[in-house]
Amino acid sequence: MNSPKRSDEPIWWALFSAGGVCFAVFLPGLILALGILWPLGLLNSSVLQYAQLLSLLQSGYGLTGLAFTGAVICLPLFHAAHRIHHGLHDLKCGYRKSSKLLCYGTAAALSMLALYLTFHLILAD
Amino acid sequence: MTEYQLLVQRYDPEHDSKPQRQHYTVPGDHTTSVLDALLYVQHQLDPTLGLRWSCRMAICGSCGVMVNGIPKLGCKTFLRDYHTDIIIEPLAHFAVEKDLIVDMTQFLAHLSAIKPYLMNDYSGTAVHKQTPAQLAKYQQFSNCINCGLCYSACPQFGLNPEFLGPAAITLAQRYNLDSRDNGKAARMPQLNSKNGAWGCTFVGFCSDVCPKQLDPAAAVNQTKVESAKDFIISMFKP
Repeated sequence: MNSPKRSDEPIWWALFSAGGVCFAVFLPGLILALGILWPLGLLNSSVLQYAQLLSLLQSGYGLTGLAFTGAVICLPLFHAAHRIHHGLHDLKCGYRKSSKLLCYGTAAALSMLALYLTFHLILAD
Repeated sequence: MTEYQLLVQRYDPEHDSKPQRQHYTVPGDHTTSVLDALLYVQHQLDPTLGLRWSCRMAICGSCGVMVNGIPKLGCKTFLRDYHTDIIIEPLAHFAVEKDLIVDMTQFLAHLSAIKPYLMNDYSGTAVHKQTPAQLAKYQQFSNCINCGLCYSACPQFGLNPEFLGPAAITLAQRYNLDSRDNGKAARMPQLNSKNGAWGCTFVGFCSDVCPKQLDPAAAVNQTKVESAKDFIISMFKP
């Protein structure tokens, strides 16, 4: 049997795995803080002041902000895109170039936007 | 003795336009297996029923059938665990030759594609020793009886018969983990392809149905890690 072509799946699988870890580790904490504790007034509101948050994001030469965006937006986006791409295959309408382009393209575009906005914010003042 | 109601799928591609279910009433007690029941049908009620079997003790892996939609070994599944009609069909995702007999050709081709044998440069007759730790690395994956239940359980094999599938990838991992083997480089190209380890979406049903508890899903995911490492190494090679 001839050697079949090497799949590029390791790239998407690595992003999927990293996104899965972020989904499991960071997002529940974020949802607890911003989705439950804050609306219930159980969180000290001064922590969520703009100036306070901005200085947090800017700490470490802005790397904290970029890492935060990467962990709670970009990697989970690739995780979701991977699931949708493979889910489409299960529905017998996937594994085409178009579905791959659409899924990972959307994740990449939204990630770039999120990182751009974060970068913009960090340089704000 | 209790009476059990069996609904067995019958199909002879040369004569029937489509498969249909035939009803049989079979006596049984708490020791009667699905295979015993099918053999009772064949010997006492209907000698035209086609089925494959051999050892009756979950070693040969020939008597795989779908029991109420779940892939099972007939000899390891007991009537006592079923309280309604028992529907028996040939293994899913395989072509039917007759009644409960399926064509395993593709399955066997996938097994041989990953070179399931020791490859090394050793010659001579000296015993090649292994430590218990070296044995433990692959021993779990070496208990496969090639029954094909995991292929019937795998929705990805159902969608794409060119997917190497759980048993073949587990077998590749079994040899790749063996300290006596140097054939990993020869096996990786098959495993690195979209029909290799990457055809798996980690449904995990293969591990649920495996009658030998090999955990093929774990082997496939270990292979994904190996393939990802192989991918990174290949980027630094000319």
